Amino acid sequence: MTLEVCLYGSLAQYGSESAQSFYAQLRPTVPPGTTMRDLLASLGIPLEEKGITFVNAVLTDMPGLQADLDLVLQDGDHIGLFSPTYMWPYQYRFGVRMSPKLEEALQQHPDGGLHHSYAEGE
Amino acid sequence: MAKILRVNMTDLTAKYEDPPEKYALWGGRGFTTAVTYHEVLPTCHPLGPLNKLVIAPGWVSGTAAPTSGRTSFGGKSPLTGTIKESNAGGLASQKIARLGLKGIIVEGLPKEPGKWWTLKITKDGATFLPADDIAGKGMYEVCKILAERHGKVAIIGIGPAGEMKLTNAGICVNDTENTAGRYAGRGGLGAVMGSKGLKAIVIDDTGGPGVPIANKELFDQGRKKMADSSREHAITKKDGALNSYGTAVLVNILNEAGGFPTRNFSSGRFELAAQISGEAINAGVKERGGEGRVGHPCHPGCIIQCSNIWPKPDGSFHVSVQEYESVWSLGADCGIGNLDDTGELIWLCNDIGLDTIEAGNTIAIAMEGGLLKFGDAEGAKKLLAEVRTGSPLGRIIGNGGVFTARALGVTRVPAVKGQCMPAYEPRVVKGIGITYATSTMGADHTSGYTIAPEILAVGGKVDPFAVSKADLSQAFQATTAFIDASGYCLFNAFHILDIPSGMEGMVESVAGALGTDWKVEHIAKVGMEILKMERAFNEAAGFTKADDRLPDFMTYEKLPPHNTVFDVSNEELDKVYG
Repeated sequence: MTLEVCLYGSLAQYGSESAQSFYAQLRPTVPPGTTMRDLLASLGIPLEEKGITFVNAVLTDMPGLQADLDLVLQDGDHIGLFSPTYMWPYQYRFGVRMSPKLEEALQQHPDGGLHHSYAEGE
Repeated sequence: MAKILRVNMTDLTAKYEDPPEKYALWGGRGFTTAVTYHEVLPTCHPLGPLNKLVIAPGWVSGTAAPTSGRTSFGGKSPLTGTIKESNAGGLASQKIARLGLKGIIVEGLPKEPGKWWTLKITKDGATFLPADDIAGKGMYEVCKILAERHGKVAIIGIGPAGEMKLTNAGICVNDTENTAGRYAGRGGLGAVMGSKGLKAIVIDDTGGPGVPIANKELFDQGRKKMADSSREHAITKKDGALNSYGTAVLVNILNEAGGFPTRNFSSGRFELAAQISGEAINAGVKERGGEGRVGHPCHPGCIIQCSNIWPKPDGSFHVSVQEYESVWSLGADCGIGNLDDTGELIWLCNDIGLDTIEAGNTIAIAMEGGLLKFGDAEGAKKLLAEVRTGSPLGRIIGNGGVFTARALGVTRVPAVKGQCMPAYEPRVVKGIGITYATSTMGADHTSGYTIAPEILAVGGKVDPFAVSKADLSQAFQATTAFIDASGYCLFNAFHILDIPSGMEGMVESVAGALGTDWKVEHIAKVGMEILKMERAFNEAAGFTKADDRLPDFMTYEKLPPHNTVFDVSNEELDKVYG
């Protein structure tokens, strides 16, 4: 099956050579049953370099949570990957569509996830 | 004690007053709102003799508190008809504060229409200088001329749009490089300044008394906690998200989320978003070099430094600043995906004196109305340049999105209370839709900054998931009002939400400067006092619950890629201030 993957900022280095320094768009072919973790491994992206993540415009991860590694990807999925440098302040994502796993992870977080950053020590 | 400078444009007098009790405690937005609430007839014509232009530094502006140089401008808005506060960076607030001024109130209309004045304020007083020779000029040239005449001064001014009293006219403040890069853009306060025959204000704080600090120990402890918190957090630290990519760090994120309004809010995704993103700005600045810069401060003493200077291909100065809202409004919303084009459009807005958010929305509406095609960057530049000429078409465009939509028969008008929306699609980011609908300012993205839940204590509930979006929105709006009164840049909300000592530091620095006993739990309470005055003004001006709504198309037109509508009920919206 084929995916569409967009890599932003420093993650663009894991894209093809034709990519711009700050943005890469790839169409990798992967076996059925591929998970987010498998995709990252096949692209050579270390887990600690993964931050805000989208699958088909649904928010599946925030920096420091790793809430979507076991997500099984489907043919034609659009995946957007950002490095942990990125931010998305709470008031600008308050009410967006999130994956059930991410919602669960945020609810387990102190204060129910009403924060800007979830990385260690911040 | 800091004084109020009351300026009368009818008889050209400027008097210093001791602040009455009702204003004594307020700074920034608190001051502009209190004066507008107590002194401006809510039903007045915003461009008539009964409206006032109020200018105020925040509580800690002009002190050593980090990132605290915001100037608030207020009055009744000619764009929305509501009360308005719009604030900007640049040089003004610190210099006003160091002259021992709490605020400036400009009132009256000139006896001789067509005659223009510059108000010069120094430690020795305020004088009126004829400004007919700079009338009609764009703000880049005005900044240059006034700096040649008066030296290193803060400049507040309006471009031709303000002189023509167009309702999308903003008020400009010069920045560290003395360019026209900082705007109190929203709500048309530039037209209010224009109605008073005031082209510019020049502020020289040489020899000024400085800002008194009531409790230096507490203030110093607070400002240090603020600085530490700002320098530690991933969003605000050096080489962090804002410092590296500017606010346009959000372009690709909102686009991936399907919430990046595109081609007049007809889609949530723009295929060229990456080309106008913060990452592209950063790469372009590095590649072109020269005068280009990222991590640029919009005012002295800013330690976040989210601004930038965009260079032309040869490395020379083009414009400051390519920020999120502007590259979106003049880019994606118009189907334009090139930073040199957005840079030129922003430069035109800065020079002519227009708010970039409203101007981009207006061009997008003109595109929808068939005046030009989506993606036509050259056409967009011509349309903005038309505003400068004062032609009938230019005046239509200069009056903003709602006015232009009416002229062209366009019904997809993304506005609340007459003010067009910023770059977050409410059909996707539903929380911000609630804030757009219920803000006292019209559709405004800066009205609902998030503050830590322990501060909110909304309805006594500690679990935010047990709290309705409406309650959260009200609490966010109240805490935002507090920050807007402080002079601290709102972006401090990013780090103090996550770092409790930063939050304490903000309150301690304010309490130390003012000599109050405020603690963290006072933030929402004090902020709510400001909102109450604003709501009361709007109510007296004729606004009702029916105005606290998003435009109807958002409730029935499904937005791709999510194909969702705005489905927060009116009951929920009414609960925000219920």
